[in-house]
Amino acid sequence: MRKIMVIAIREYLAAVKSKAFIVTLVLMPVMMAGSLVAEKALKGNVDLTPKRLAVVDRTGQLFDALKAAVEKRNTTEVFEEDDEDVAAVDRMRTREKDGPPAADGERRQVFPYFVLEKVDPVEAGGDELLLTLSDRVRKGELFAFAEIEPGVLDPPESSKPPAIRYFSNTPTYRWMHRWLNMAVTVAAQEHRFERSGLDPRKVAWALTPTEVDHLGLFERDASGRTIVPAKKVDEVASFIVPAMMVFLLFMVIMVGASPLIQSVLEEKTQRIAEVILASVTPFQWMMGKLIGMVGVSFTIVTVYLIGGLIVADRFGVMDMIPLHLLAWFLVYQAVSVLMFGAMFVAVGAACSDHREAQSAIMPVMLVIVMPMMVWMNVLREPNTLFATLISLFPPATPMLMLIRQAVPPGIPLWQPVLGMVLVLLTTVLVIFAASRIFRVGILMQGKGAGFRDMFRWVIRG
Amino acid sequence: MFAVELQNVTKRFGTLAAVDDLSLTVPAGSVYGFIGPNGSGKTTTLRMIMRIIYPNHGSIRVLGEDVIGKGAATDRVAYLPEERGLYRTMKVREIIRFYAELKGYRNPRADIARWLERMGLSDWSDKKVTALSKGMAQKVQFICTVIARPELVILDEPFTGLDPVNAALFIDTILDLKRGGATVILSTHDMSVAEKMCDSIFMIFKGKKVLDGPLDGIQDAYGTDTIRVRVETNGHRLDGIPGVTGVVDFGRYQELRVRDGTDPQAILEHLMKLGTVRHFEQARPSLHDIFIRIAGPEAQEVQHA
Repeated sequence: MRKIMVIAIREYLAAVKSKAFIVTLVLMPVMMAGSLVAEKALKGNVDLTPKRLAVVDRTGQLFDALKAAVEKRNTTEVFEEDDEDVAAVDRMRTREKDGPPAADGERRQVFPYFVLEKVDPVEAGGDELLLTLSDRVRKGELFAFAEIEPGVLDPPESSKPPAIRYFSNTPTYRWMHRWLNMAVTVAAQEHRFERSGLDPRKVAWALTPTEVDHLGLFERDASGRTIVPAKKVDEVASFIVPAMMVFLLFMVIMVGASPLIQSVLEEKTQRIAEVILASVTPFQWMMGKLIGMVGVSFTIVTVYLIGGLIVADRFGVMDMIPLHLLAWFLVYQAVSVLMFGAMFVAVGAACSDHREAQSAIMPVMLVIVMPMMVWMNVLREPNTLFATLISLFPPATPMLMLIRQAVPPGIPLWQPVLGMVLVLLTTVLVIFAASRIFRVGILMQGKGAGFRDMFRWVIRG
Repeated sequence: MFAVELQNVTKRFGTLAAVDDLSLTVPAGSVYGFIGPNGSGKTTTLRMIMRIIYPNHGSIRVLGEDVIGKGAATDRVAYLPEERGLYRTMKVREIIRFYAELKGYRNPRADIARWLERMGLSDWSDKKVTALSKGMAQKVQFICTVIARPELVILDEPFTGLDPVNAALFIDTILDLKRGGATVILSTHDMSVAEKMCDSIFMIFKGKKVLDGPLDGIQDAYGTDTIRVRVETNGHRLDGIPGVTGVVDFGRYQELRVRDGTDPQAILEHLMKLGTVRHFEQARPSLHDIFIRIAGPEAQEVQHA
């Protein structure tokens, strides 16, 4: 056991001192923070040149309403919303008073102004007109143009009104046609109300939508006397927290287990294997390496958990961190490193150089990445048969079971317990098979082994 | 008391018997030479003694302990493999410490300093292995092997890559180990080294033992049928001399093997007719010559090794 620890400590130090480890540990948070900063920085970096939209209004009655709408937009909606609450208040104020909010001058413009240009429809040769407008877009005089059919005002009862035709040469810019769609819809509705003799305000009031506040459940406090009211559900947070756990687990496997390929290859090609095998058995050696890497993974997790807790504490979202899953997380993490680490060790021992290892590692990588492809589905519907079964598939269990446990109301306890039992059995099996491959492969020089050889070594021992 | 005992040991890789029904005893406290050409089964035998691989048949006892199916070698046995096995990114002192601890030596700090000093590597103790020359790496590897004071030291080609000064340092150190009571198994294909250092010789060829015993005894057994000469012959060949059954040409010297009962004086006479005789010596056969005789022309590669 002491010798296993000697190997584990060496392996741990070699991994922790490597540049790759330091880069991952330091760079990951920097990159995360960097992407936030970049997003903030890029937010102000939008094209604010006014965009000109020509409208061929074949209804002859909507243009004025659109003009009013675009003016309202240019005075209110193009500015940054400093804060969600302020913005919400502003929106309310706008809705109530229909007037521009007070603090315009202070706020940064984040969307360009739109400018409308009225184009009179011609009776014949409509294509000619559209071609002329298209050329003006090409020349840059216009950003886009749109044609509104008269049928927009009088849709047949059983079907939708004809579509507005929006022409542009910027297919990815979506803000203008979105706005146009909404503005024409509102203007056409008001027109129809008036024609039907309805007061638009009253109709708007009658049609006031109701919103849903998504809450958790009421509960009693610890003493059992006071009733604790339900809290509002933060839907973003309930997605982000499980996602972070899955990514942390994934990273731990990648940083904690994959260096084993390199180290086994070095021991093999540098003939270190013989010296070490003169002191320990292959199994002791492999276990030492695996334990060292579990140590590495705990180092990573400790750093990130402490970092995460500090951040959560600062933003006052401590209660979102599922601390009750911490024990599960740590066990899943350790077992993942053992299970996948053993696979990496086996591959490293069976290969003779890095290139060979790269291709031999593909199947293992696929198994590791597999949960990453389905985790969103499992998160949204954690209790489907699919989610249950796939989370009991041992290589996927650590990530997927953890997600299902993290999403309230959670899952029956037998599932994670059964999952853990299966994972532990698989890990023992993988370590057993890997140690047999390792024992033969590590001393073999020359050509690397194929999957068939590896299989034979496992069976024969 | 034997440090190593092998009985009827066979190790097969696939259909090839790398070691075939080998029996061998290495007396404690001796320097025992394992000789034989590349691929003859030397390293396989050493690995079996080290319990890195197990034989298909036979039994092996090391330092009085049955080793088969017993896990890793004990801390009393150390092994210097033929090829260097050092982690490239570790510092010299760290790697020696690592190998010492693997052999159960818990606080080797003072010993490491002493050994580095003796090997002239004190200035390199904080350098990484990658920075070392081949000879220096060899010395570090040697320290790694002997640091935990083993009772049985197995050295596989310890002199490769060493200049004469360092080779002498190694020989000195190895003899020190012997004086300290350790048993040394020295595997080499350099016959002259084996001849100089070893008390006993074991020779393996194609997996079979062809020679085993004290060096004196072996040479006596092969008799005084060898004559070592230096003759300026002006191109005349020496193998036509009556009574000479074989010639090994070392360049400056030639060794003649003569039929039993041949009068050396007759050969000398004959040589004098061929050219100027600078040196004439009735010698015991060299290990190399004995080996060639046993192994035949197939072992010629040893000559160039």
